[in-house]
Amino acid sequence: MTWIGERVRPIDWEARTAGGVQYTADLDLPGTLIGKILRSPHPYAEIIDLDVSAAERLPGVRAVITMADFEPGARYIHRGHPLSDRPPLADGVVRHVGQEVAAVAADSAAIAAAAINAIRVRYRVRRAPLTPGDSLRARARRLHERTSGEPNVSVLSAIDWGDVEAGRRAGVVSVHGRYVYPSVSHACMETNTTLASWNAERGCVELWTSTQAPWFIAKEVSHLLGIAHEQVICREVAVGGGFGSKSKASEHEVLAAALSRKAGRPVLVELTRDEEFGANKPRHRFETTLTTSADRDGIIRLFEADLLVDNGSYNHMGSSVMRVGLITLGSMYRPDGVSLTSRLVDTATQPGGQFRGYGTPQVSLAVESQVDELAERLGVDPLDLRLRNTGPEFAPTLCGYEVTTSRLGDCLESVRMELRWDERKAERIPDRGVGVAAGMHGSGAFAYEQANRSDAAIDVFSDGRVRVRHGSADAGTGQNTILAQVAASELGIAVSDVDVVSMDSERTPFELGAWSSRGTHMTGSSVGKAAREMADMLRAVAAQKLGTDAVELRDGRAVSENDAVDLGDLVELSDDAVDGCLSHETSYLLEGTEMITPGKDRFNLSPSYAFAAHGAVVDVDRRTGKVSVIDYVAAHDVGTAINPTATEGQIVGGAVMGLGAALGEELIREGGRIVNTSYLHYAMPRSADLPSVRPVIVNGSDPAGPYGAKSVGEMSIIPPGAAIANAVYDAVGVRITDLPITPDKILTALAQQEGRRRRHRLWRRPSRWWVSGIRALYPLGLHTILHRYGTKLGRGVGHRGSTPAEEPRIIRARTDDELTSQLGRDARPVGGMTDALVARRSEARPAPVLISTIGIPARRVITVDERGALRIGAAVTLAELADHLRDRLPFVSEAIDSIASPQIRNTATVGGNLAQEKRCWFFRNGFACYKRNGATSPCYAVEGDHRFQHAVIDGHRCQAVTPSDLGTVLASVDAEVVVGRTGGRRTLRIGELYSGPGELSLEPGEVILEIVIGAEDLDRQGGFAKLSLYHGDFATASATITALGKEGRLRDVRIVLGAVAPTPWRARETERALEGTVVSRLRLRAELDAELDRIAHPLPRNGWKLDAVAGLAEQALEQGWPPGWRGSEDAALC
Amino acid sequence: MTADGTRSLRVNGDQVEVDLGGATPLAEVLRDALGLRATKLACRRGECGACTVLVGERPVMSCVTPVALVDQPVTTLEGLAEEIADVRAEFADRGAFQCGFCTPGQLVHIAALLSRSSETLSDEDLAESIRAQLSGNICRCTGYQAITAAVCAVVWRREADEMESR
Repeated sequence: MTWIGERVRPIDWEARTAGGVQYTADLDLPGTLIGKILRSPHPYAEIIDLDVSAAERLPGVRAVITMADFEPGARYIHRGHPLSDRPPLADGVVRHVGQEVAAVAADSAAIAAAAINAIRVRYRVRRAPLTPGDSLRARARRLHERTSGEPNVSVLSAIDWGDVEAGRRAGVVSVHGRYVYPSVSHACMETNTTLASWNAERGCVELWTSTQAPWFIAKEVSHLLGIAHEQVICREVAVGGGFGSKSKASEHEVLAAALSRKAGRPVLVELTRDEEFGANKPRHRFETTLTTSADRDGIIRLFEADLLVDNGSYNHMGSSVMRVGLITLGSMYRPDGVSLTSRLVDTATQPGGQFRGYGTPQVSLAVESQVDELAERLGVDPLDLRLRNTGPEFAPTLCGYEVTTSRLGDCLESVRMELRWDERKAERIPDRGVGVAAGMHGSGAFAYEQANRSDAAIDVFSDGRVRVRHGSADAGTGQNTILAQVAASELGIAVSDVDVVSMDSERTPFELGAWSSRGTHMTGSSVGKAAREMADMLRAVAAQKLGTDAVELRDGRAVSENDAVDLGDLVELSDDAVDGCLSHETSYLLEGTEMITPGKDRFNLSPSYAFAAHGAVVDVDRRTGKVSVIDYVAAHDVGTAINPTATEGQIVGGAVMGLGAALGEELIREGGRIVNTSYLHYAMPRSADLPSVRPVIVNGSDPAGPYGAKSVGEMSIIPPGAAIANAVYDAVGVRITDLPITPDKILTALAQQEGRRRRHRLWRRPSRWWVSGIRALYPLGLHTILHRYGTKLGRGVGHRGSTPAEEPRIIRARTDDELTSQLGRDARPVGGMTDALVARRSEARPAPVLISTIGIPARRVITVDERGALRIGAAVTLAELADHLRDRLPFVSEAIDSIASPQIRNTATVGGNLAQEKRCWFFRNGFACYKRNGATSPCYAVEGDHRFQHAVIDGHRCQAVTPSDLGTVLASVDAEVVVGRTGGRRTLRIGELYSGPGELSLEPGEVILEIVIGAEDLDRQGGFAKLSLYHGDFATASATITALGKEGRLRDVRIVLGAVAPTPWRARETERALEGTVVSRLRLRAELDAELDRIAHPLPRNGWKLDAVAGLAEQALEQGWPPGWRGSEDAALC
Repeated sequence: MTADGTRSLRVNGDQVEVDLGGATPLAEVLRDALGLRATKLACRRGECGACTVLVGERPVMSCVTPVALVDQPVTTLEGLAEEIADVRAEFADRGAFQCGFCTPGQLVHIAALLSRSSETLSDEDLAESIRAQLSGNICRCTGYQAITAAVCAVVWRREADEMESR
């Protein structure tokens, strides 16, 4: 009986799908305190004074810790001396925004927040380099003393593999380029969370922590607390995703433990999403400069590379991430030689950490892009070129790998077949492209002492149940399930008879954890070995009982030719059983691999190597720059898939994560601080963003692997970057070399390709001279002055630690009068409050009273008045309005459908949506900006990343825009807004509602009561089109076009552009030009382009939005007046 | 007019009293005051869907819903799990969860979609409409397609069962 290869359900599926498993924050320990962390607001500063006395005095504060609570000079071990450099809390200096300075434990989250706020830190802020380029400048501040010989270079590797000269002679066709893979976040759904409970009697600490590797947590925590490894006891707990981030310490575990030791009570530290994005360790950004040379037959002969790896401010695993990254050049392909230089560069930014793929996706982007570039130069199909260059099986590689099985060729052929590669290449559909990329990854790396060892235990109980014990941690990979399959197979029982215990320092044997794709190989091998040895023990007992050596274990019994005995009974019979349990522990030691050793450049890190080829079909929208993945095939050589469903899950999940990095994800920094610290601003794939990835398991069997299995979890994230870049090039002839491939890059490149340039003639527009002048001064020092000094004169927002606001009082008004009579400066109107609680966290003076409109019956309905006008109550939800207008004004419904999520649309009201705050990731994420903090503060968008969110028209001191898509579409139907105040009402045209970005022209005490759409306007025909970075995101740009009259000519045209100006922007000149004309997309585009050229004033990097919004206008027109609609004259014009 | 103070909620069919400020998010009421911890908190900003619960029939983000504005019965995964046993089994068969942290929110939202499937889901392109509807529920593990496939399978099976029972 074998369960290997079976699609077994996850062993804990019933609990896991009923909310019945406990993650760390779900646990209840009596007396648990809440821990919070004070973090550095500066990228680099010396700490002049750190005074925690006021925090300690607050009632309910039970412990405050600083570096003084640790041994002098305490540092995380990480890769060991001399690379150990990070203190548990700042040791006199902070080197990145978000570095831990102090931590508190208190009776409640509110008290803990108040205590954090009460800690006084005096910093002496110093300039420090924030990018590798800056760090390498001669006069840059040195962040650490390093031994590489170069300032700010933590590790310098110069490696030659093979015969570089021979490669140089033979490689007659070369391509050269620089490729950038950005820093991206794991964004695990469960933030890093630890519950620590100090046991003074035993002198030990128990930890429930979201980790992939309890052993490493115990190692670092014990080292920093100055106690023995055995005194840190990790306990089993559910883990909500890891992807590498939780495979080593995440810097909060030891703080929880130290707080618990000091307070003498359990402490829960749960990182916020903001901390997770803004302070935790993301993927290392790589800049890979590569030259690939091939001979005339297309055989790759030489790689020459220069790598810059952004280390961030501390080493962590940077040296080994760089090592694994550069090995990419010497492993999958077999050139004559490789010559490379690689620098791990310190910058005053959050340090990089371990992330699925571990350096390989970054370098693979360069290699696999260049294979395509070579193929084009040589006139060879890129898939064929790869087939020519795949290495043989059971052969060494330049970097020292001893490859065992490889079915890379079959993976490539699978992509060819599944994608209909040859037909699609021949079809040449305009703006559609296909791309392929290959990859390779080990099955566990011998990266540390004892990483080649895995212990496991098996218990058999007298009731016949079996328990697997292993010290690794299943963060969602299905490891526990496949280990149950392994044990069940060896013992001849059902998987449902197996329980698995993991992670527990006292109950599970030695295991380094689930990282480096070692879970399946190492624990699969050790559990298999333990189960086999247990089977031998059981058979021996059975042999005595049954009187024959011919015993087989099956169906929960030991079976001989004539007789059988239950496993449980064998336990009772065994002399070794204790209390009805027969236990066996064993150790698996991997043979034939070599540990990473300093000073050595070649080693066989893994017992086996996995391969994959991914193929993508994309459509590139030339009008908006949007890349849509139409089809995606991921073919993987995994050896034997122990559980194909779990394997496919790893393939698809990894591919989609890789596609996220290819198409949208990037951590964006300003002044060293992460700008996009929320899911809202982090363009990772949502469900509707991608098609189904089609996983193909190219089944095989590797002699090294347990049951023939190789790794899969990391392999799948490696090829997507280059596969998409190659497909985009195939589609539109534009080679994007820096991920993510966002619409700005596509449209900018296409404009260059087509030789288009917009001329805004600012010298002829005196109204823009002032703004132009100010913008010109920003890079010349104005930004720095405003940021460093001006912000101190402001309202005092934007600094972490500003006073937490009191909880507001929420009132539900029942009538208009009840609402308006209470409104004022201290009492603001709200609707469904989907963003009110979030927004007030960064407001300088949040209103103490919020009065909701949702309890006013008259505001909850949509009615038609005597003149036939539609009156929409301000408290009608977005979902209700969308449903109501679906037949009448479908483009309005479509606009609403594109807002946020169904859950938000179920709650958010029409009034609340129109009144929502401006869209700007600096403003929304707590920067002390001009609008937030006052006139002496800078607009961070001028110098910062303004590609997507900021104005291209009419930007002034603030570059933000009004985010409401609803506002944009309502403007296109000439909606009116009825505003109420005590004792009166007034009616505004919607164009008059906004006085600035997300700012209403209402007085305190006024509130939106209803929206009115006139009877004639309900007959408008129109369309709405929107470009956003993910499904449900705010518009990067949007366009609505409506007109009256269905006789074939446009009458009373409205063209409203969203997210391009501080307020919804009417293209009035184009409207006039189109009045009375027949529908023509080309005429619209020509008129609109001319108007945008005359009126726009983009920032340096957002001019592309003008092309995008003009393209969206075309799409809106096509939507409202579909091609073939009577009166369209494009056929003639084309 | 409702003032702050003790308030009464109906949760999973039970009437409960909670003594909390009106601005307390519903999710915290459920998790901390009532011990219903299937509902997860992953962003506390209404952006990820892990905290999805039903208020009345509608799925909402309980992390940004102040308890003062809740005026209909609340249903969490604890109250739905049995009703959607078929969805849960399909999740298990297709690998529709890995770490499981987003799963309660996904399942609650799916339960709402299925209970009004004629309005929420399109027969024409079922998978596409499921994906659009579930785009407010972030999953970082599965790449979504096993979730989509599981819901499709349940829709089809329930339709077939209904046809048969006629």
